[in-house]
This record gives sequence, structure tokens and C-alpha cells, in this order.
Amino acid sequence: MIEYLLILYNKMKSLKNIQYLFLALSILTISCSTDDDSSENLSGENNLTMEFDNSVNGDDLILNTTAYTNSNGERITINRFNYIVSNFVLIDSEGNEFTYPKDESYFVISEEAGLNEVQLTNIPAGEYVALRFGVGVDQEKYLQGAEGQGDFLQTAESTNMLWSWLTGYKFLNFEGSFTTAANIEAQDFKIHMGSHGSSLDNYKEFTVDLPTKALVSSNLSPIVHFKVDANQILDGQNKILLSEKSVVMIDEVKSPQIATNAAAMFSVDHIHNGENHDH
Amino acid sequence: MICGLAFLQGCSSNDDSAYIAIDENLEVAIPVNFPEINYDLGSNPITKNGFELGKKLFYDGKLSANGFISCGFCHEQRTAFTHHGHQFSHGIDDLEGTRNTPAIQNLAFQTEFSWDGATSHLDLFPIIPITNEVEMGETLSGVLAKLKADAEYQRLFASAFEDAEINNENFLKALAQFMVMMISSNSKYDKYVRNEDNIEFSALEKEGFAIFESKCASCHKTDLFTDNSFRNNGLPPYPGLNDIGRAAVSGSLSDNYKFKIPSLRNVALTAPYMHDGRFGSLESVLNFYNSGVIDSETLDPQLKQNSRLGIALSTEEQEALIAFLNTLTDNEYITDSRFAEY
Repeated sequence: MIEYLLILYNKMKSLKNIQYLFLALSILTISCSTDDDSSENLSGENNLTMEFDNSVNGDDLILNTTAYTNSNGERITINRFNYIVSNFVLIDSEGNEFTYPKDESYFVISEEAGLNEVQLTNIPAGEYVALRFGVGVDQEKYLQGAEGQGDFLQTAESTNMLWSWLTGYKFLNFEGSFTTAANIEAQDFKIHMGSHGSSLDNYKEFTVDLPTKALVSSNLSPIVHFKVDANQILDGQNKILLSEKSVVMIDEVKSPQIATNAAAMFSVDHIHNGENHDH
Repeated sequence: MICGLAFLQGCSSNDDSAYIAIDENLEVAIPVNFPEINYDLGSNPITKNGFELGKKLFYDGKLSANGFISCGFCHEQRTAFTHHGHQFSHGIDDLEGTRNTPAIQNLAFQTEFSWDGATSHLDLFPIIPITNEVEMGETLSGVLAKLKADAEYQRLFASAFEDAEINNENFLKALAQFMVMMISSNSKYDKYVRNEDNIEFSALEKEGFAIFESKCASCHKTDLFTDNSFRNNGLPPYPGLNDIGRAAVSGSLSDNYKFKIPSLRNVALTAPYMHDGRFGSLESVLNFYNSGVIDSETLDPQLKQNSRLGIALSTEEQEALIAFLNTLTDNEYITDSRFAEY
């Protein structure tokens, strides 16, 4: 190893090419992280970045332009796709859990506002194999009143995620227009899902497995690339027909079904391990 | 830096306008005849400066889009903080809401707020009127921007909160501190049940109290005179409004036309009555319970017992009940200078 680096060093000196230095460093990195009991060697802490790549049934989600046909026989155009993700827990290969500080664990993802990235900071070193999180804001947080909400109230207000007639958050704000075979005239739809006061809690948590380990250490900060399938909202486990009801905000039956569907939107497409944030 | 700040404060203490009063905790005196407090004082301890800031905010039109509609615009102290004489409350640009302003009193003891329980936390309640387009028509961000630009508020927030920040947490906490302190517990009724000041009920008031306990107190429970529940009391839906009440919050058909049981404290002052302010007098309210209740799927079962709708109340009983309801008026509360605008 050392000899190899010396050779490289000499080569670099002779060629005066800075790129060799990076090559040498990356070899060093790879040789560390490919070690069998590498988790023993990961130390320190670092960021873990999550990229929420919004899509519709495998296609890019493009606001206001593309019409997507779902299995309910409805063609929808999406004008707004915003949601809250929260309460992140990282699970490592041995089943240990790291819970991100609750007060800092609420984020709005908004296609229209270009909010697609969440950075978790000071994550302890480890080999993470799964993430658990929720869509929306749990009752425990809401019932902490002014103290619990912090500045998140304004984040939610400025991203159309705050209800005003019903105080509380919209967990999901999904709007657009749709047509059916029977009705080719485009009609608006609005899906606002959140908890119903003290009556019905629509906050749902779920675990998403990572296709490869996400490695965190003092010099490794991974990017977890989520694929988020907006098609699930109407066309998931529960079939929600817009032709039946095109504005769903507070509905004892449909809102919990939409919450269940939204919890299934998330899968991790790939992980970028390393120190470089470009991908 | 710290020395510098101390020096600045030392200098400015000679100047009234920049004087920062030393903060102190305010005790929330819980009346002995009340149930337990619901508000978590630990998360928002009441201080003198926090309370005074909350009061200033309560009476400040800056909280609305046009700068004129304060909380106190609809919540007037002399009528137990209701909008007297208005069936539906007026808001910005003279737009009208669809509901009647409820009284503000003893909120720290309650678990659900607004007629339909749109929030179950007092701190978060002000968001509703502030952002409602027919009430104050503002945004939280808009309010905070105005407060941040105001030198006096900068000073007041710094005097009330350790971090000195003008943010929504401190803004809502200050308003809550003011509202938590708004306790009405010194009516003739309170003094009678607490055996204070040798207060006695007249024969008619006693009779009314007995009728109240047998016919009204199952919903207007405890000395708060509400059980915090939502019920359909059998009002025919108001033509053209069709306000479904609690169902708008819960999404449940079984909650159609249910509204929060209001407290009856200071009820003699808070006309008009009902969530839509349709009745102008207590006599009309009692007449309605006696003979105006209509049946529907969600009518409260207590209002259809023994194959009769409503609550049987003879003229004499109604007269006695009204005498009793008048004992719930708390003149100390409606004249308490701690809560007064001027």
C-alpha cells in the first residue's frame, strides 16, 4: 500500500498532475471502506443527505404540463405536490437505531418551491441499512403548542402546508386537474391530508430499506436518493377516484386511505457513498 | 460585549421609553371551585413582561392585514370579551364571518377551542383568526415581519423572553400568557358556592340553581359550565349557511351540526346566543330548548328523552333559570384593569 502510494507520488511529481493526488486519496478511502469489519473503522460523525426525487409511476413528475393516466382510468395533471416528512430514525446493520433530534426532524418537500433535499447533520458513524420516518406531524409534536412548533409553522405557512380554519398542518398538498373517459373537460382536484383536530390522527410512520448500505463517518457523508411516487396517492393500495370526489380535505373514510397510500410513496433508488456531494 | 450591553442598559434606564422592567413570574391563581388546569404552565411560565406583551398584542391591529382589526376588536371586555350586538363577527374590510364571537375566559381550563374544536391547544388558537380571510386576513410571517420592524416590540420581546427573539414561538406564547391569566371566578355564584362574603342566593336563584343542576348541568358541567364536548342541540340549520360544525374538523358524518358546549359564565352579557348568534335573549334560548328543538340523526340523545324533544321548562322554571344565570356575571372580571385595553 505505502509503496504504491510512493510510486504514485513519484509519478505525480514527474507529471505534476494534481489529479494523481485525488487518485491516491480515493484508493486510500476505498481500501478502508472495503475492509470486512469496516463498521469498526467508521468513526466520528457527518451529514446524511436525502434527495426526494418526485415521480409518477416511473416517469418524471413535471408540474402543470404532463398528463398521467392511472389505473383508475383517470388522467391527471399535477399542479402542486408538497408533503411533510418527519421524525427520522436511522437503523444500522445490527439493528441499532439513531433517532434524529425530534425538534429538528420536520421538513417540507415541495415540487413547486424546489425543496427536494433534506440534510441530517451530526449523524454518528455507521453502516445504515434502513430509514424510518413519517409523513406529517404527529399529535405529540402538535400538542407541544407554541414551543413544539418553533419556526416550522412559518415554513408550513409559506409552502401552503398550514391549514387556517383548522389549525394544524396539511401533511400532503396534492392539487391539479383531471379528466376521465366520460368527462373530457378538465376538472380541478385538491387532496389536502392532515389530522382532523383531536378526532382522527392521520400521521403515519414506515420503514424504507436501503438497497446498499449508507456509510457515515468523519469523512463519509452519503446521499440517499429517494424515488417518491405521487401515483400512489390515488392509485396505491386504496383506489381514490377523483370522479367520485374531487376535493378531499377532511373525510373520515378517504383521508386515512390517502394517508396509507402516501406512506407507500417512498423507496430508495440508490445511495451515493463518499465524500463528494455531486452525483 | 456583555459589558457593553450592560452599559447600554444602564444608560437607557434613565430614559422611560427604553426602560426594560425586570421580569417576574406571575402566579396563576386557580379558583378552589374549578377543575384542574389543562394548560401546561411548565412549557410557558407566565411572567409579568410576557403577560403585558401578550396584552399589547391582543389589542394591536398590527395582527391584521389592514392594521386595524385587533383581537380586542371582536373580543370586548365589557361583554366578557364577545362582539356584543353582532350576530356574526365582523372582520377585515367589513367582511362577515359565519359564527358568533365566543367569550374569552378560563381558557386555561379547557381542552378544545373554537366552536368546532379546530384546535386542541390554546397556543395555536390565534392562528385561526389571524389567518382567516374574513377575520384578520394576515399571515404569521406577515405579523412577525411587522413586529420585527417595531422598536418597541423588539424591546418588549427582549424583556419577556430570554432569547429575545421575535418569532412565532414567543409571539404565540405571549398571547397565550395573556389568555391563561384571563380567569373569571368571582361572580355571585362563585362566592355563593365558596361561602365567601356571606353571599346568599335569593329563593328564585336557589330554585333556578336546582333546575339548572337537574336539567342543564349534564352538558354545562363543573364550575366552568362546559364539558368541552361537541353536541347537536337541535337548532335547525341556519338557512343559506349550513354550518356543519364539528364535522368540518373531524370529517365524520356523526359530528354533523355539533358545536362545542359553551361556558355559561357571564352569559347574561354575551348576547346574541348560539354559534350563529341567532337568539337575542336568554328568554329566546330557553324557549328554544323548551319547544324549538328539531330532531335529526345527530341530535344529542339527552334532548330526546321520554319521547319528547328538548327540555321541558315551564314559564316559572325559565324565570328561575334566568335569575340563576344572572348570578354567573362577574363584574370584577369585566372591569379588571389587568385585561383592559385602556
